[in-house]
Amino acid sequence: MDLIRTEGQRMTAAQPSETTVGNMVRRVLKVIREEYGRLHGRSEESDQQESLHKLLTSGGLSEDFRTPYPSLRANVIEAINEMLIELEGTTDNIAMQALEHIHSNEVIMTIGYSRTVEAFLKEAARKRKFQVIVAECAPFCQGHEMAVRLSKENIETTVMSDAAIFAVMSRVNKVIIGTKTILANGALIAVSGTHTLALAAKHHSTPLIVCAPMFKLSPQFPNEEDSFHKFVSPQEVLPFTEGEILAKINVHCPVFDYVPPELITLFISNIGGNAPSYIYRLMSELYHPDDYEL
Amino acid sequence: SSAVAAIRALLGFLKQDRGETIQGLRNSLRDAIDTLSRVDSSVAVSSGGELFLRFISLTSLEYSDYSKCKEIMIERGEIFLRKVSLSRNKIAKLCHPFIRDGARILTHAYSRVVLRVLEAAVESKKRFSVYVTESQPDQAGQKMAKALRKLNIPVTVILDAAVGYIMEKVDLVLVGAEGVVESGGIINKIGSNQIAVCAKAQNKPFYVVAESFKFVRLFPLNQQDVPDRFKYKADTLKTGQNLTEEHPWIDYTSPSLITLLFTDLGVLTPSAVSDELIKLYL
Repeated sequence: MDLIRTEGQRMTAAQPSETTVGNMVRRVLKVIREEYGRLHGRSEESDQQESLHKLLTSGGLSEDFRTPYPSLRANVIEAINEMLIELEGTTDNIAMQALEHIHSNEVIMTIGYSRTVEAFLKEAARKRKFQVIVAECAPFCQGHEMAVRLSKENIETTVMSDAAIFAVMSRVNKVIIGTKTILANGALIAVSGTHTLALAAKHHSTPLIVCAPMFKLSPQFPNEEDSFHKFVSPQEVLPFTEGEILAKINVHCPVFDYVPPELITLFISNIGGNAPSYIYRLMSELYHPDDYEL
Repeated sequence: SSAVAAIRALLGFLKQDRGETIQGLRNSLRDAIDTLSRVDSSVAVSSGGELFLRFISLTSLEYSDYSKCKEIMIERGEIFLRKVSLSRNKIAKLCHPFIRDGARILTHAYSRVVLRVLEAAVESKKRFSVYVTESQPDQAGQKMAKALRKLNIPVTVILDAAVGYIMEKVDLVLVGAEGVVESGGIINKIGSNQIAVCAKAQNKPFYVVAESFKFVRLFPLNQQDVPDRFKYKADTLKTGQNLTEEHPWIDYTSPSLITLLFTDLGVLTPSAVSDELIKLYL
């Protein structure tokens, strides 16, 4: 377990904004703990989490993982393979739920390009007719690619600039977005522009649905707000050809946005739909509290 | 704290008990808890006592032989006390990363847990300043300010009425709790509800730090629902005066105003609190 942990630390230190790496390491650690527990003879009922109950009834203060079991390795490898199969099927699982959420003649809004949302909308388009408005998501304008792909499936698509989000929101029935990471309090780290979209949706009481697979759920809290940010070259915002002004101004190009949990209506993941206030429960099923800090 | 002392007293009582049955033990423990609450009617004592009683019942279910049962209970009681004394440090470790360098913190009255958290933040080399409400009628805020000055933290004591005025300057609000109720709300020194409402209005995070033995099986829907025995000191209740003339010592803050709770069970959103309570009492 220590080996996995050190490798995990190295990998997350290399690119801190790619939280899925850390998440997967934590899942593997949890799998190991479970398999060990099963072999150690502990019943399935007993909870590995901290709880008031445990506070009262447990005998010792810490747990020892030293007893060697020969079949532990094979069990763990099998469990990891199961996890791999699950991971490969996540997009399809999410897309299968599309029909329940999208109805005929609806206007859906989305932002930027997300493969999960693309699959979601394509699956719904097979049986229903609806329109999609895509916010282009400057400065990288990934929204254009999304619109091209959706229109290939004969979905009526409109592209508009981010500035027009609020203006158009009154005509939209639902907002469906993807995200980079889901934080432990139910908040999102998504592409720049998503917070604006979420606020506009809240103002018009439009439901905001987030389609994201469970491996994006990360047990971090948004404490050091500056630490998760990734900035890229401001070339897109203000090109280097505008040399004269560059000396006098600061140009920033943040890639991600923080969206607080109050603005989100529903999370659709490979295990079904959940409210943001339920995220803590999902987290306790996926990861062990001792692994939150790798 | 008073709850830990109460639990220690109950454990001592348990050791000396001469009864032969679990039922007798429960009854005598219940009497002991009543006596304790009659002297100091704080929420934490009540929740600590309830937890201890629950702990007795759980243990008694596992072992049928009374004397063996009693031995296990005493052993687990000691472990419980030890865990509880470590809880404040655990909470401090969880909470201090949320205090950024250069932050301005607002806190209310005197809380040892908050003091420990701020101490941990100072140890991790963070610079911040604190505003403390004076917290009438016992001026508990002055006590907190004195303790903070000893840690070399710049402190300003403000009037309770100045919370709305100061809220725009503040980055986050950090309070302790005397009790955490099932809905995820808290019971704390009078004035906390006001601070929470102001914080919500200005979009400032409202953090609560509390140890897990403070979780109480109450579900107040409004201020009136909080039982009188918590609101007023035990002696006031005994004299039987007209309670409409008395000032309550605590108020209830609803979970929608709280951002996060830091407990020794981890960082919880208010909706996670009821889950924890269910896990215990079911």
